[in-house]
Amino acid sequence: MKILVANRGEIAVRVMRACRELGLRNVGVYSDGDRDAVHVRYADEAHHLGPSPAAESYLRSDRVIEVARRAGADAIHPGYGFLAENAAFARACRDAGLLFIGPAPEVITLMGSKTAARQAASRAGVPVVPGSEEPFGPDVPMEAIADTARRLAYPVLVKAVAGGGGKGMRTVATPDDLAAAVRAARGEAESAFGDAAIYLERRLERTRHVEIQLLADRHGTVVPFVERECSIQRRHQKVVEESPSPVVTADLRRGMAAQAAALARAVGYTNAGTIEYLLDADGRFYFLEMNTRLQVEHPVTEMVTGVDLVQWQIRIARGDALDLDPERAIAPRGHAIECRIYAEDPDRRFMPSPGTIVSLRSPSGPGIRDDSGVAAGSTVTVFYDSMISKLIGWGADRAQAIARLRRALMEYQVLGVRTTVPFFRWLLAQLDFEVARFDTGYLDRVLEHRTEPFAPVSEADEEIAAMAAALDAYFRLRPGAPTTTPGHAAKDSAWKRAARLDGVRS
Amino acid sequence: MTVTFEVELNGRSRTVAIERRAPAEADRFHVIIDGRVRVVDARRDSDGRLSLLFPEEGGTSYDVAVAASGRGEVTIHLPTASLRAVVNGRRARRPSDAGATAGEGEQRIAAPMPGRVVRVLVAPGDEVSPRQPLVIVEAMKMENELSASRAGRVKDVRVREGSSVEAGKLLVIVG
Repeated sequence: MKILVANRGEIAVRVMRACRELGLRNVGVYSDGDRDAVHVRYADEAHHLGPSPAAESYLRSDRVIEVARRAGADAIHPGYGFLAENAAFARACRDAGLLFIGPAPEVITLMGSKTAARQAASRAGVPVVPGSEEPFGPDVPMEAIADTARRLAYPVLVKAVAGGGGKGMRTVATPDDLAAAVRAARGEAESAFGDAAIYLERRLERTRHVEIQLLADRHGTVVPFVERECSIQRRHQKVVEESPSPVVTADLRRGMAAQAAALARAVGYTNAGTIEYLLDADGRFYFLEMNTRLQVEHPVTEMVTGVDLVQWQIRIARGDALDLDPERAIAPRGHAIECRIYAEDPDRRFMPSPGTIVSLRSPSGPGIRDDSGVAAGSTVTVFYDSMISKLIGWGADRAQAIARLRRALMEYQVLGVRTTVPFFRWLLAQLDFEVARFDTGYLDRVLEHRTEPFAPVSEADEEIAAMAAALDAYFRLRPGAPTTTPGHAAKDSAWKRAARLDGVRS
Repeated sequence: MTVTFEVELNGRSRTVAIERRAPAEADRFHVIIDGRVRVVDARRDSDGRLSLLFPEEGGTSYDVAVAASGRGEVTIHLPTASLRAVVNGRRARRPSDAGATAGEGEQRIAAPMPGRVVRVLVAPGDEVSPRQPLVIVEAMKMENELSASRAGRVKDVRVREGSSVEAGKLLVIVG
């Protein structure tokens, strides 16, 4: 079996590692801008897809399938993002006689429609957030939408039926703002997903994001896993994920897991998937949506269960039966937390920081896993998501996991681009984080009022830095110079050497 | 033999004098900074990473990376923070250069980013001391204090309180 990995960066490397462990050959693909990327070097073989923009390379399903055929691949792993939840691509793979490592295209289509997914959840007995049953197409009059909003009670959320990642989503506090929000959400949904249909949901206050990972084989076995909590979000994007959730009890866990498995069975789900829930302060949970792919945060589940989810994805696709102990899958061993490391400047409102990574020192040691897609010399371009790695810490309990992550974040050193490492050093030192007092709005509320830099510099730090800068200059201009040369002559020539060195550098 | 460097860091210029000790202690240096002598055992590896030990301060160890970040600037990476510095004022100057520039002659203080001038703290003719704040610019909800890097006399103030400025806009000239 030979597997083409239709992705880039850390997730391409992650999937290739699983291939190698299973003794399977892997095929990488790359765009113009990724010729030097780590996933290309790591691959057993790699083939060119097209120009750097994703629409001309990683999103070109025809090119990906053509490369798979030419390379003699039997299967395609889509990773996450790009073509991972594209039903047409899954169907095209099937038509081309290629195994798509993921669910059937019909299931991707069903769960890809947020309203159809909500209906499927309701039918399977899973509670959903109160909202509109049917999608509002572009022709539905505003009065009908306003009626629904009134019935749900404000505040409401206007969401894209084909949505995801916070796109095409608006919060509406009062009836006066509804029309404008609907127009804006429709416009965004149309341009992002090519579908202007929207629906309404009641906005639940102060909820946590808790999700259930599951695996389903092609023989009817569904195994749900211990939950992940992903409430630390910035503008609807997950930033930190952990397993188990610090607030979910064993009973609640069983309930969430059983409902997730019931829904997966009801829709004929296969392979890896995730059911996302909102959890309110009273311990009630509501179906939010299903992700029909491997998720960015899958490592935290792997760390607390010892199950390799990516290997299982491949094994399920080729027809193996799941033989996991379902009790072990929902009984976490210790605690794992993941930080998504982005090439962004946290001190400039998380502005992307593209550039070349001059030097990279990755953390290691007890309980640390660094799923990285970059190395020294790698270029972070503006064409793709700027996540460069995921740092995962495991501990016997949550406190140890935090302590290990904080230690690892001190070791992590990326030179050449700004990263969110200093932000995580700060976040993991916050009392609210330590005691898990947060909901999905926590981070945005804290960041809104924050003006101080994430890495405050003390007087002592400044002095060490000044000494280091001077010593560095000293060593540069006196490589292996004798220590005994006295007098002014030597000093003068040293300055001249420094001037020359500077001339060469600039 | 002593080699002296001017290190400009966070708007402040420091004189750092480095003197190697006896040949038998090849890695040991006397570093004089802010009038204080500190004994440092320093090593630099081929990647430019420095290991600093302070044998007379309990042996405290620092692992520091110093990387050239262009225009004569270096970035110093400590385990908890990264700082930019200019050594010996050799940064190539551009008209758009933000902030105060080092070295001899005029100091031309420019807006580092687009924003609004919240306060002007000096007037032409004022004597200013090093690190004295001159103008406060608010940008992205943050107030940025722009100060003189050296002592001098204010020659010109080019902005008024409340005015909006583009990045690189000249604000104050200190002679």
